[in-house]
Amino acid sequence: MTHEATQITSPPKPSEMLLHLGPQHPLQPGPFLLDLKIEGETIREAELKIGYIHKGMEKVFEDRTYIQILPLTDRICYLASNSNNDVYCRGMEELLGIEPTDRAKYLRVLTNELCRIQSHLLGIGEYTTDVGFLTMFIYMVRERESVVSLLEAITGSRLNHNYARFGGVAQDLPPGYKEMALKSLGKLKELIKSHDDMMSSDSIYLKRTKGVGTLTAKEAGELGVAGPPLRAAGVNYDLRRLEPYLVYDELDFNVITQTDGDVFSRVKVRLLEILESIYIIEQCLDQMPSGPYKQDVTPYITRPEPGEVYSRIEDPRGEMGMYIISDGSDKPYRFRIRGPAFATAQALPPLLIGTYVADVAAIAASMDSCTSEVDR
Amino acid sequence: MGTFVELYDGIMELLVVLFSTWALAPWVRGVLGGLVIGAVFGGALVMVYLERKFLGDIQSRIGPNRVGGRFGVLQLIADAIKLFTKEDIIPAKADKWLFIGAPIVALTSGFLMVAVIPFDLLVINGKEYAVAVSRMDISILYLEAVSGLAIFAIFMAGWGSGSKYSLLAGFRNVAKMIGYEVPLGISIISVAVMAHSLDIVEIVQAQSTLWYIIAQPLGFVVFFIALLADVGRIPFDQTEAEEELVAGWATEYSGMRWGLAFFAEYLHAVVGAFIITLIFLGGWNGLPLIGNLNIPGIFWLIAKTIMVIMLFIWVRGALPRYRIDQVIDIGWKVLIPLALLNLLWSTIIGLIWA
Repeated sequence: MTHEATQITSPPKPSEMLLHLGPQHPLQPGPFLLDLKIEGETIREAELKIGYIHKGMEKVFEDRTYIQILPLTDRICYLASNSNNDVYCRGMEELLGIEPTDRAKYLRVLTNELCRIQSHLLGIGEYTTDVGFLTMFIYMVRERESVVSLLEAITGSRLNHNYARFGGVAQDLPPGYKEMALKSLGKLKELIKSHDDMMSSDSIYLKRTKGVGTLTAKEAGELGVAGPPLRAAGVNYDLRRLEPYLVYDELDFNVITQTDGDVFSRVKVRLLEILESIYIIEQCLDQMPSGPYKQDVTPYITRPEPGEVYSRIEDPRGEMGMYIISDGSDKPYRFRIRGPAFATAQALPPLLIGTYVADVAAIAASMDSCTSEVDR
Repeated sequence: MGTFVELYDGIMELLVVLFSTWALAPWVRGVLGGLVIGAVFGGALVMVYLERKFLGDIQSRIGPNRVGGRFGVLQLIADAIKLFTKEDIIPAKADKWLFIGAPIVALTSGFLMVAVIPFDLLVINGKEYAVAVSRMDISILYLEAVSGLAIFAIFMAGWGSGSKYSLLAGFRNVAKMIGYEVPLGISIISVAVMAHSLDIVEIVQAQSTLWYIIAQPLGFVVFFIALLADVGRIPFDQTEAEEELVAGWATEYSGMRWGLAFFAEYLHAVVGAFIITLIFLGGWNGLPLIGNLNIPGIFWLIAKTIMVIMLFIWVRGALPRYRIDQVIDIGWKVLIPLALLNLLWSTIIGLIWA
């Protein structure tokens, strides 16, 4: 595997064929074009072309007030909308020099972990259907429903939550939430364990995934890949632990790592992270202090002091960062998003070289990239 | 029950009268053929419905539940109307005659197989009459040969569509079938060796004391796996793997042309289930030890076939898909040696038994 070979340089030989996977293809979470030069079923060269749904979000943000940007951050990737809200708000809090209330910190951790669970569940689900395991996809989506309902009960919406605020959150927990969440998550824990058993004991599944699409720690580092693909390669890298934001330093959890870095490990990391997230949520519900969930005075018109800030978060898919430069007006001077999915997407073509056409589905889905975020 | 059995016997006697005039009136055979084709056609429809419902149960969803009441029994009719009214598209790059011919060949191969499937054996006045459109001495060999025609259909569709996905699917299918027709054939030979006949009717009669699934379990396993590959169901559906090849060889088909191709596939699965019932599960014989409980043989046959179809659906719900190179590995490195071993076993047992 070489990282230079990410472009198709020469026309196909008589024994080879160019296969354009996309921009519309059942394997894809969103439109992108994957050009494969194949010889029989073996992939010789691969090239990724993105930009089909480019939304120009960074430029749009520079033309919006800080408050107007907040709901738009949801739309970067709908599966990670809570993390995106949170990372933006933490950046702005640093610029504005305010601190979220203690209860709000716990609420944000709680929703972030719920968001991680539902993103992982859908990620695994899409992946399992890509290896032809339709039943597991439907199980995962069923399990995800309960988590989305938990999120809906707090935030009021199922996908684009728009929950975090500068210095707080939008609403408090509804009454009786703790019992509801514990019951639902307890059930989820059992189900995830049983699905994990089902997947790790299936010999066809193991054959399809073990040793396929191995991304080593070094290569992942070079490409800027973080999150589950990096941890699957054995690197203990998790911003929740390395740079504890909100209240993660008061919570007990393990950073899940695997050693192989193949398709199997990446999915295993996600499955185990779901269990770990449930553990974090249980602690949050226990330890959550009472008190205000937002600032007394919400800063509706925000004109932060000139300055710049980079805030980052452990997104479900990796490291999400936002770089905001303020020039003292009510709009950012420059807004830059460092998305995790962009890094995982660019890691894809080199991983494909030498594998089979059938592995494209397994590898691409196990990276759990998000076209919406890649083309933000 | 008594009247029911009488009614059945009455119908069968009528059939026998018709059978005995076969040589005189070829049109009778034609009518019977039409009836049997209709029945198997209906069987395939039932399988499609059963698959949607039973797979739904496995996947904790409901399945069809709107058209035709709570159980969605008319869903298939609605789907058929939809398919008939869709635009028939032949891609500009397609090889027109291959493209049009493929679903026809697929369906024809399925119907040719139906011709020799016996549904029951009637003994009237000491004479044996097989309830089949055609009773051949080499019917099992004929089945194997005719089922091979379906490979041409998929390759015709793959090449004729002018699409790269279809082409890959066609290649995959040929590669897969070269590997899997062999163990399938060897398993059939093992059965024939034990029964001392290539005639399905006699193979079933030989199982009246002992089903061949018990006499040669290895053969059954090999045959079942090879059959799954033959009819292209999960875990061997590489030719239409959606996430890899969009819809495989059927990518460019639309409307009723696609419907025919899709239907041919289910027809093959139903016929496959019939074959496995006939040569391994005792066909129209009742259960071992219990006997046939005075229930007509055709019902035993159909009940067992439905069980096999349920097994197909269950396998589909429970397993992911193999990669094509792994499929071929299994065919050549596992199934063929096992099939040969089973042939040896069945030869020895067959000698002792006979």
